[in-house]
Amino acid sequence: MKITMVKKLFADGSPCKKCGEVEEKMRAAGHLERLDRVVIADEADPASEGMVLAALHTVDRAPFFIVERDGQAPEIYTVYFKFVKEVLNAQTSEDDEIREIMNDVDLDFL
Amino acid sequence: MGSITTVIDIERELATRSPQDILAYALDNFDNIAISFSGAEDVVLIDMAYKIRKDISVFSLDTGRLHAETYRFIEAVRKHYNIDIDVVYPEAARVEKLAKEKGLFSFYEDDHKECCGIRKISPLRKQLLTVDAWITGQRRDQSPGTRAEVPVMQDDKAFARPDDKLTKFNPLANWTSQQVWGYIRQNNVPYNSLHDKGFVSIGCEPCTRPTGPGQHEREGRWWWEEATMKECGLHAVNIEK
Repeated sequence: MKITMVKKLFADGSPCKKCGEVEEKMRAAGHLERLDRVVIADEADPASEGMVLAALHTVDRAPFFIVERDGQAPEIYTVYFKFVKEVLNAQTSEDDEIREIMNDVDLDFL
Repeated sequence: MGSITTVIDIERELATRSPQDILAYALDNFDNIAISFSGAEDVVLIDMAYKIRKDISVFSLDTGRLHAETYRFIEAVRKHYNIDIDVVYPEAARVEKLAKEKGLFSFYEDDHKECCGIRKISPLRKQLLTVDAWITGQRRDQSPGTRAEVPVMQDDKAFARPDDKLTKFNPLANWTSQQVWGYIRQNNVPYNSLHDKGFVSIGCEPCTRPTGPGQHEREGRWWWEEATMKECGLHAVNIEK
């Protein structure tokens, strides 16, 4: 299994806050070493590897993870807690999961 | 439903279709599907769906903080269409813990996320574990900044069961508020009386206020918080497809 994390740089060069938070969580949980590669999606450079991968896999969120297994189509994870549970087989707390959803979902339609 | 590619392909096909066509597709292809009804103008989804299939499944999140008008409206809709509306509640223990530790209006001091997490997201997650697809009233014009690319159909990864798929339909994505209200008037669809009092976007009572002419509807929600830029999007304008 090969795992690639794609994280984002804004067009002005500043790092994506959520990408940093996810990376920090992975570091704290000892999950960073499970990654084979970390790739940058630079919004200022559509040819950057991360932007190309985002386009290839039709992803419009960051960070995201590409999980490649022999003989299988790559799996894309844009939800961090899903990636942790389903790929790393690790636990996440409900509070953390809800917090992540809250950051990604507008709530005014509910 | 098959792979993500399939969802994207179907979405492209449905993207230019009417809300009724999208609803018909959703209801034809998913038996275990439910409409999320907020008690606002998304009532048009119920009207449209009811004209396609009488046994539609509808749920509403009762956060415990809705306006009295909204409770009355949900009940009026239930009676008008003679349908069951599954009213979903937050976990009492979590609400009690929040209220005990931070009071009843902590969202004005922190932000709305903790309260919404307990009163909306947590019960919504539980509800969505029971279905294969859900239908929302999300529209692009509700939040141009963060919702400009709401598709009419999507693979909902955030709320899907573990190792399973959940499909989300947003049949009104391409419609404007004006089109929604045109439909409501033309079809005599019941609507929440708060709309007559200047409310455009309707949520919990403490977090919703009327908006005036020229104000965007989002200005009536969580107005004490600064508008925050969504940081997780990869701006499509920069992605060469």
